[in-house]
Amino acid sequence: MSDHRYTRRLVLTAALALVVPFPAVHAATTVTLLNVSYDPTRELYVDYNAAFAKYWKAKTGQDVKFNQSHGGSGKQARTVIDGLAADVVTLALAADIDAIATLGKLLPLNWQSRLPHNSSPYTSTIVFLVRKGNPKGIRDWGDLVKPGISVITPNPKTSGGARWNYLAAWAWALRQPGGSDQSAEDFVRRLYKNVPVLDTGARGSTTTFVQRGIGDVLLAWENEALLAIRELGSDKVQIVVPSLSILAEPPVAVVDKVALRHGTRDVAQAYLEYLYSKEGQDIVARNYYRPRDPEVAAKYANRFPQLELVTIADFGGWAKAQRTHFAAGGVFERIYAP
Amino acid sequence: MQPRLICLAIAVLCAWCGVVHADEQTEAQLLQRLEQQEERIKVLERKLEIQDETARTAAEGAPVVKASTKGFSFQSADGANQVRLRGLIQADGRFLVEDAGLGGVDTWQLTRVRPIIEGTLYNFVDFRFTPDFGQGRTVIQDAYLTARFSPALRLTAGKFKSPFGLERLQSAYDIRFVARAFPTSLAPNRDIGLNFEGDLFGGKLNYALAYANGVIDGGSSEALGDVDVDDKKDWIARLFTQPFADADSFALRGLGFGIAGSYLKQTGTAAQPLLPAFRTSPQQTFFRYRSGATPTIADGERLRYSPQFYYYVGSCGLLGEYVQVSQEVARTTTAGTRRATINTNAWQLAAAWFVTGEEETFRGYTPNSTFIPGQSWGALELVARYHELDINDEAFAGGGASFADPTVSASKAASLEIGINWYLNQNLKWELDYGVTRFDGGTATGDRDDEKFFLTRFQLGF
Repeated sequence: MSDHRYTRRLVLTAALALVVPFPAVHAATTVTLLNVSYDPTRELYVDYNAAFAKYWKAKTGQDVKFNQSHGGSGKQARTVIDGLAADVVTLALAADIDAIATLGKLLPLNWQSRLPHNSSPYTSTIVFLVRKGNPKGIRDWGDLVKPGISVITPNPKTSGGARWNYLAAWAWALRQPGGSDQSAEDFVRRLYKNVPVLDTGARGSTTTFVQRGIGDVLLAWENEALLAIRELGSDKVQIVVPSLSILAEPPVAVVDKVALRHGTRDVAQAYLEYLYSKEGQDIVARNYYRPRDPEVAAKYANRFPQLELVTIADFGGWAKAQRTHFAAGGVFERIYAP
Repeated sequence: MQPRLICLAIAVLCAWCGVVHADEQTEAQLLQRLEQQEERIKVLERKLEIQDETARTAAEGAPVVKASTKGFSFQSADGANQVRLRGLIQADGRFLVEDAGLGGVDTWQLTRVRPIIEGTLYNFVDFRFTPDFGQGRTVIQDAYLTARFSPALRLTAGKFKSPFGLERLQSAYDIRFVARAFPTSLAPNRDIGLNFEGDLFGGKLNYALAYANGVIDGGSSEALGDVDVDDKKDWIARLFTQPFADADSFALRGLGFGIAGSYLKQTGTAAQPLLPAFRTSPQQTFFRYRSGATPTIADGERLRYSPQFYYYVGSCGLLGEYVQVSQEVARTTTAGTRRATINTNAWQLAAAWFVTGEEETFRGYTPNSTFIPGQSWGALELVARYHELDINDEAFAGGGASFADPTVSASKAASLEIGINWYLNQNLKWELDYGVTRFDGGTATGDRDDEKFFLTRFQLGF
């Protein structure tokens, strides 16, 4: 081989040798995951992340650090689409992760089939949180539209929980005698007339109701309501279980393009899979989410009231529900004017 | 009791009850209204909180747009990604009081017209793209990416300034004279390749090692069409230190010195000899190798080295460098092929003084005031330099078979120049230089006459 060709190969090899090991060196010791989640899961992921870090260290010897981002589910999805480098998303509803897949093209369209239970390792539902003693006598959805009742619920444009709230109200209205799309629309219109403040996310609404003392009833994630009672005490607030609610299935997914770029694909996948493990499900239940695992569910059965639940399938799936109710020009924009 | 009295009593009693009841109702209503007002206030306060929170979140994610004397920039909220737009326009005038018989003409010209696009991606890769529309041409001066692995290691790929000449490495925006000095005529300008560079010991030592196509002395790769002409490549290395950069002594902090070298083996052709020509500050060519049917060509090793230094203290600055190039050449005539090693060396010593008290530095300047007619004058700087370039006599030996024609090309040029620079503000500068160049040889009868000239520049840079 001539001198100049040898020299050229030597230089290029040296350049590659300098560049290639750099990411590998860091990956061997510590990895950081960014989990972009919806609003009320802060306490859940504090507990869960600690448990997973311990599990992963024991299994692989690698340290895992976590960065958490919380906010309204829809808002969080848009932030990821706009470039927030989430390794995983754990959002309130499938439509928000669908948006990341279709608009952000950051994960495949079939993401929901990659983990059990349509990628929802836990469920929840919507209940009412009222002042202790229930001074306004709120029993069911119909009471929310009475004059003088102030209802706290977040903005469905930004909050996943708000969309579950809205759909639960719609489903109840449909079930009433003479129920129709028109009567349901009229019902939610009257409901939102009684909403003085629209927070961007579920946690914000809890703050409005519990700490700012605004409103007579909070439409809350079940886990938020149970957490509020634990934090504030049962002498301040109480839960009212409506006759009908909705099965909320918050999904989780690896954001493939980001995880591959960061070199965190394997640990991100394991992070989500661990949610389905016995320990993961136990942590989920301890934080007031309804676990999927039958054994863990039985262990915590007393914590969760039994009630009739509709599902998103009753609305034709999230794509249809999003298009009909929450997209630009949808029902919510028709019935609500700030 | 009479019925009338009884009726009156009853009427009075009913009226009294009505008044009492009305008071109670008013009080209850007032209380309710008060509670409603309190609720409204709480709601308004909460709405304001949400509004502030939303605005804060939006601001945190919002891109940052800046416009300043340093140019225009667009930056992501976290600063990891940014694009900066800068520019440089130099409108020059060249006036020869005596042209030394070299035939130069007085002219105005746009020497540099450069939009500069540079930026950073992921806070890891820097990039720069600089087209130049000056002198009636379109040239890509810079087009490179730099990956910053650490302060000690940066890898640049693309077209960039070779890490060799000290004055060449000074930005065109910052140079103190209209034309660069003779040593820069021997140093490579822009080349295409890879450059490994870094700062060690807290930034006190800078090293660079480049592997590039190779360019002729003073030249850039666009002269060769931005491609290499053969498989051989130029190795360029440089070490430069500022050993007292963080010293307590103010007097020593501005001292920097180093050495650069380059090595290349190359063979030119009649169509592309790969040898330089040398010009004076007003761009008059005073030396070239023989061309035509039997040109002198580069044929073998070219070794350059350059010790260099600068020293800045307060308002004064001194820059000096020496460059030597040893070039193996050949020329084939009817008498046969002659080969030799031609040594060309050049050196300069340039001094600058901000009369108005600004700090002299290698990079950049900051006038203490801006020019406002009748109020303030900006910054004034006096400059002076001596520089010379000497081609050894081997180039001229051999009569008709010589590598350079002594009746046309001078063997030495030495120039003394003085100048004044007026910085109207950070972005506008006016320069005026006067110089005299003396030659050894260059005509059939002996030394060429002196060249005397004025150079002026109007510069806009940001």
